[in-house]
Amino acid sequence: MSRAAAPLQWLTMGLLALGLLGLTPTLSLSLLAVGLVVLTALKLREARRIEERRTVALLQLVCAGLLAALQPELGPSLLQGLAILLALAGLLALELGAGPDWRVLLRRSLQVLLAALPIALVLFLLLPRMMPFTNLGWGQGMGAVTGLSDTMEPGAIARLGVSRDAAARVAFPGGGGPAPMDQRYWRVLVHERFDGQSWRSTTPRIGIPPAALPVEAPQPARPGEGIQLWLTEPSGLAAVPWSGRGRPLSPDLRLRRNGELLNQSPGSQRRVYALTDSATPDDWRSQPPRPINLALPRGENPRLEALADGWQRLGDDRERLRAAERWFRSQAFRYTLEPGPLPRQAPLDSFLFETRLGFCGHYASAFTTLMRAAGVPARVVSGYRGGQWIQPLGGTGYVDLRQADAHAWSEVWLQGEGWRRVDPTAWADGDPLASAAVAGVSRSSTGPWGWVQQQWWGLDVAWARWWLGYDRDRQEALISRLLGDRRQWLGLVVLLAVGLCLAASLGGLGWLGRRRRGDPLRLELERTLRILADQGVTPQAGETLPDFAERLAQLRPTLASPLGAFVALYQRQRFAPGPSRARSKETRRLGRALRRSLKNGESVREAVQRGRS
Amino acid sequence: MDFGRPQQGERVRLRMRSLYILPTRFGWLWLAGTVLLQVVGIQMQSNGPLLLSFLMLSLFLLALHLTHFNLQGVELSCGVPAPGFADAPVAYPIRLRCPGPSEGVRLRLAGKEPDLPLSLPPGEHELLLRWSPPGRGWQRPGLLRIQTTAPLGLFCCWARWQPAASQLIYPARRAGPVRLLASATAPLVGERAVASQRDGSDDWRDLAPHRPQDSPTRLAWKLLAQGRGEYTKRFRDLPEAAPLLAPEPGVPLEDALEHLSERIWRLHGQGLSYGLELPGQSVSPGRGLVHRDQCLAALAWCR
Repeated sequence: MSRAAAPLQWLTMGLLALGLLGLTPTLSLSLLAVGLVVLTALKLREARRIEERRTVALLQLVCAGLLAALQPELGPSLLQGLAILLALAGLLALELGAGPDWRVLLRRSLQVLLAALPIALVLFLLLPRMMPFTNLGWGQGMGAVTGLSDTMEPGAIARLGVSRDAAARVAFPGGGGPAPMDQRYWRVLVHERFDGQSWRSTTPRIGIPPAALPVEAPQPARPGEGIQLWLTEPSGLAAVPWSGRGRPLSPDLRLRRNGELLNQSPGSQRRVYALTDSATPDDWRSQPPRPINLALPRGENPRLEALADGWQRLGDDRERLRAAERWFRSQAFRYTLEPGPLPRQAPLDSFLFETRLGFCGHYASAFTTLMRAAGVPARVVSGYRGGQWIQPLGGTGYVDLRQADAHAWSEVWLQGEGWRRVDPTAWADGDPLASAAVAGVSRSSTGPWGWVQQQWWGLDVAWARWWLGYDRDRQEALISRLLGDRRQWLGLVVLLAVGLCLAASLGGLGWLGRRRRGDPLRLELERTLRILADQGVTPQAGETLPDFAERLAQLRPTLASPLGAFVALYQRQRFAPGPSRARSKETRRLGRALRRSLKNGESVREAVQRGRS
Repeated sequence: MDFGRPQQGERVRLRMRSLYILPTRFGWLWLAGTVLLQVVGIQMQSNGPLLLSFLMLSLFLLALHLTHFNLQGVELSCGVPAPGFADAPVAYPIRLRCPGPSEGVRLRLAGKEPDLPLSLPPGEHELLLRWSPPGRGWQRPGLLRIQTTAPLGLFCCWARWQPAASQLIYPARRAGPVRLLASATAPLVGERAVASQRDGSDDWRDLAPHRPQDSPTRLAWKLLAQGRGEYTKRFRDLPEAAPLLAPEPGVPLEDALEHLSERIWRLHGQGLSYGLELPGQSVSPGRGLVHRDQCLAALAWCR
């Protein structure tokens, strides 16, 4: 057993423990992973014999696999990959005797992993996947809650904190891009229930049960249809953001009548899903309003109701909408993140007629109430607005949504048109989106750190697209593309590919093993001597290297200087007390230069003949 | 896992037909871990565990060949074993010729714990295996098992070989009564004449012209310093009073031989002369390493 075995195995444990930090502690599988890592550490602590140490290495690999299931993101995956590399190096250290140090072991481990990778990839890409055996509900649970909430009560918030945390990213891998800045609304929740103070959503908090999902798999995207690939951070909500246009492509998505998109996987995880970028025929916009969209506790805000009663006399819903917009624009409303709290009694009256200060929630809430009071079906929608378009150095561009982009707006039902989006915040002074659009200022975090973060997230989007997005459907598509309708050959193709990869890997490992053999200095000399031998000059018996060099230099005076330098350095290195990296590099360089001049110049044989004649 | 047809002969080359390979217990455990990760991957529809499980399966396939390559083509042959005593473990030399690097090689003789794993670079190697012979005479160490589990411990590859070279084993050294033959207690007149014919290392006898192959320790330096030329001193063994050892009557032969063995060892250690008288053969008195080995060999062969 190598002395490096124990440090390598403990280092692996450290990496696994680091991976545990990112887990959501409430998931049952997370608890299993934590338990397994702790047990592995205890086993490593008491392990004395080689057999026990081997078991530890295997347990470490299983731990890394569990972590990979729980944290498939790019960053943790890199950490898990490193842990696997170290665990394998630890296992090699147990078998290869006392000799090799950790550097050799790591290199060996990397070689073996790289050799094993082709076979693993063939199996991973081509071996048909199985459906889950049962739905055990692994990974379900409560989760973290961020920017959006299913209850909106703007009056109770005196000061809205702005968080720059990431919320979601959407990429357009099939080409295309997001709508222009002032049309970029990403809806998440629809708040239809109003009790005079707060707006509530009717969305279930936890993921939809599998029974509620459509039975048939979604149709794949047609060529030419744009695709939106979404990557959302944990939100604790079942509803996920989308643009309001398009058809779900991922099987765990379901569209509600009110235009909410639900995702089956738990909200405490990052989610990846895809939608088409085109309009659908059975649009949620044309779903007629229900009585709840007009429900309003009367008498809560008398001045508001009085104002709306005036509009009710107008003949058309569109007229009422225009009247409301005119009224809002005529008043001195100002957008602020610190409006101060509103009174419990008639909060909206206070906002509309006294303070006139508020953020999106205030405007959406007041406007929707006004519309309901005026007899126009209306509801509050929350989601994200805007988002920054980022084009990483390589790969697909994406829209970056932060928690600070969270927004609320209204939707009103107009006969003959359906649900129309109305954003009353845009009518107020100081709306951040409007001012940003006017000034043309990018609000991206500047500086190198922001740039690095953008590039990293670009990689993350690519990772989500190629790695997390590789599922049964993608596999089916790949196999169809490779084999067409000759599916019965799949088994043979996989076997053949595995055999080929195995042969190539073994050949590669053998070549690597041979390459490392022998003294590099001597190899360098022999390489040069071989070329000289090809040209007909070989050292005579008993001739030392300097003598041979001198003889050669007489034959070919142009060679004298590179040859002299090489031989001098070789001699110095040969009799040096210890090897020096810089000098071996220098020897290699001189050897290369010498061989080049040997090949370029006239051959030695010609020189020999010339010398004789 | 210790089965398979043992190879016979002085020299054996390990090939497909003489090498056996099976997964170790850890190998089966590894496969179980692969299945576990596969189940996790399928159940959670997660790519990470799936790829890792395929990676582990791929390592398993790769390890099968890498472990086999460690021993494939290795040539085993016997060295020339030096004699030893039956009471102590003796060293048995084995020569290995590795065509490529052989990692984690363990050699084990029947009934012994395997040695520590060795990583052998390509080329010739001579290894000494310790074993405890069962008795005196020409003995063979029995089945040799060469095995390796490197590089991952997933497979055990092994071969069995019966090394043909025998090792001479002297009787164990055990203190006990030994018969000293009276006839040998004093040198005979005739014997002296015979003994003086033989060259030895004890007494300076004569000078001879120095030859290059003569040891410089025997050079007559004094004469050389006096400028009288190079001469080599000639010595002979002292035909002094030497005991003639024989088995003690009334003691079982094996025990008596062990007593003799100890006595010879002791007398040699003290630098004394001795002879040996055994049923069927005798060694005339003398001393020195060659003489000692001659006597001990006579004991080993005695019937």
